[in-house]
Amino acid sequence: MTEDTVARSWSDPALLWKALPAVLLQTACFLAPLGMTVALTFQTTKSFQLTWTWNLATWTDVFSRAHYWTTLLHTLTMAGLCVALCIGLALPVAYALATRLQAFKNQVTVLITFAFLTDTTLKTFGWAMFLDRTGVANYLLKEIGIDTGGASILFSDWATMLGMVYNLLPFAIFTIYISIEAIDRALILAAYDAGASKFRAFWEVTLPLCRPGIWAGAVLIFLLAVGVFLEPKVLGGGKSPMSAELIRQTFETRVNWPLGAALTLVLMVVSVFVVLLFSRVYRLQRGRGLL
Amino acid sequence: MAEALLELTDIRKSYGAYQALKGVSLSVAPGEFIALVGPSGCGKTTLLKHVAGFEDPDSGFVTIEGRSMLGVPPADRPTRIVFQKLALFPHMTVAENIGFPLKLRKVDRAEIAAKVEEMIRLMELKPEYLKRFPKQLSGGEQQRVALARSMISEPKLLLLDEPLSALDVKLKKVLQAELKRLHRMLGVTFVHVTHDLEEAMMLADRICVMRAGRILQVGKPDDIYYRPADAFVAGFIGETNLIPVEVQAIDGGGARTHVPALETNTMTIPAAQLAPGLERGPALMMIRPELISMLKDGGAECTMPAKVQEIFSKGGTVQYRARGPQGLEMVVELPGTPEKPAAIGDKLRLGWAERDVFLIPKPAEAG
Repeated sequence: MTEDTVARSWSDPALLWKALPAVLLQTACFLAPLGMTVALTFQTTKSFQLTWTWNLATWTDVFSRAHYWTTLLHTLTMAGLCVALCIGLALPVAYALATRLQAFKNQVTVLITFAFLTDTTLKTFGWAMFLDRTGVANYLLKEIGIDTGGASILFSDWATMLGMVYNLLPFAIFTIYISIEAIDRALILAAYDAGASKFRAFWEVTLPLCRPGIWAGAVLIFLLAVGVFLEPKVLGGGKSPMSAELIRQTFETRVNWPLGAALTLVLMVVSVFVVLLFSRVYRLQRGRGLL
Repeated sequence: MAEALLELTDIRKSYGAYQALKGVSLSVAPGEFIALVGPSGCGKTTLLKHVAGFEDPDSGFVTIEGRSMLGVPPADRPTRIVFQKLALFPHMTVAENIGFPLKLRKVDRAEIAAKVEEMIRLMELKPEYLKRFPKQLSGGEQQRVALARSMISEPKLLLLDEPLSALDVKLKKVLQAELKRLHRMLGVTFVHVTHDLEEAMMLADRICVMRAGRILQVGKPDDIYYRPADAFVAGFIGETNLIPVEVQAIDGGGARTHVPALETNTMTIPAAQLAPGLERGPALMMIRPELISMLKDGGAECTMPAKVQEIFSKGGTVQYRARGPQGLEMVVELPGTPEKPAAIGDKLRLGWAERDVFLIPKPAEAG
């Protein structure tokens, strides 16, 4: 059956040999820069010059300063919240697109593609103008009687979150849309026939069956959200920088490459750890290597 | 007839300009096994969806146990449907699948487990399958799980939407027998949609033949087979011979008929052998292939000279295709024997009894 063919294609030595050049190239291109980064963290800089001396100074610095870790925690919180918001918003949207708006399937696909194609920088600056003290948002709020006292929505964590969710939402919509669309309509009818209400059919059948899409979207968004620097800078005003911005500053402004490399590694390891934790929970939930 | 369990009255349904059902009325008695047959697109599945509650008619009534079902959702109808593709939930185990309808009805766990056990035994499934997933079962086993899931909530009406059509012939036979057994054991009313006529003949108490959104005939399998309402039903159910005739007069005693192709070409067909609505003028005489014999000598009430064109041995039976007068293609089916009574090119006479024929109206030209 299918499981057999999958297993066979992986364990087929002939196939592995054929794939070897590609695998080697991929590994080299991935591992080499990673190795460089690791090596960098054990060096020091003196008057903006990298000196090739092996020591643990950078790491001592990383582990002794709370600032780096609070930034990381802030980043993870923002990313986690962004994932939750994106999934929560994308689920009903994707469900509606995949079921109610079936007739407009082609148009919907084009729209989703457009969301991917439009430049993130452009969209982010668009929001900046919208949220500015003299922007449309404040004007509208005043119109409906909420006086912000001239305070700007811009340059806050809320603005950052808004930008992140706005920019990353299409990923969740897309993955969830695909997985809901793949569900056989007869399964939903079978649920109704068995006595399920619309909500129950969604909860018992649609939701579990589109879980792969939800998880794929969540992981994708988490990894992207952990790495955002545009939104905290443009919309958040750099007040509470997130890890990616901190790393950029360390490399570019402070020209401290060893520290930048170390912070990069920390962010990477923590992100991978969170994703692994995600997939562990996911597998436990599924409980059985199916689907 | 006893109080009907299911009563369909003049159901009409259109999808845009396409009329799927053009006024269908049918009544099904409690405990009956009825088969809806017809070519694809005849509206049989649409009709089933009206009974299940997935569709509501544009006009007409669906009544179950005297209660109008208009606007009643599937969940609140005493019906359960077995889908063509079974629609087992891939993320649930066999036990969860079967128990799902009871879970929705908030039956407590122990009771569900007991009921599931019972269904498993009824469907002759192995208990160790309970923890497996539908994908890990064979087609026939999945079929049984789907049936068990439908039966567990004890519906009054079980609707089967061609659930056997995807199976191979051997497995199909086994499951047909299974369906028949279940029907006898449970006393539940079955409405079975199929395009397989043999299946309908084997299983059903009554067959309802549909075409282009209308019911052509409802009757016992033998009635449908030997006394079809028209040429379409006659041709759809099994092979048949249709000989053009001219009805000259109809009265209480029968129809005086002129049959140009026969050696004795005028006869009176008794009233019981006339399709309803038969009128004077051109008509068709139907005779089933297995009711015709090859005459060595002597005669029969109806005789016709013919020349054998093709012989198809089916094993148990042998089919002869012969050409009669006026280019009439005749099909004769005889029990198979090692020695064939005729060879290709043989000229012989075909004969049959007058009581075996049935007169049906000639279909309108081109349509």
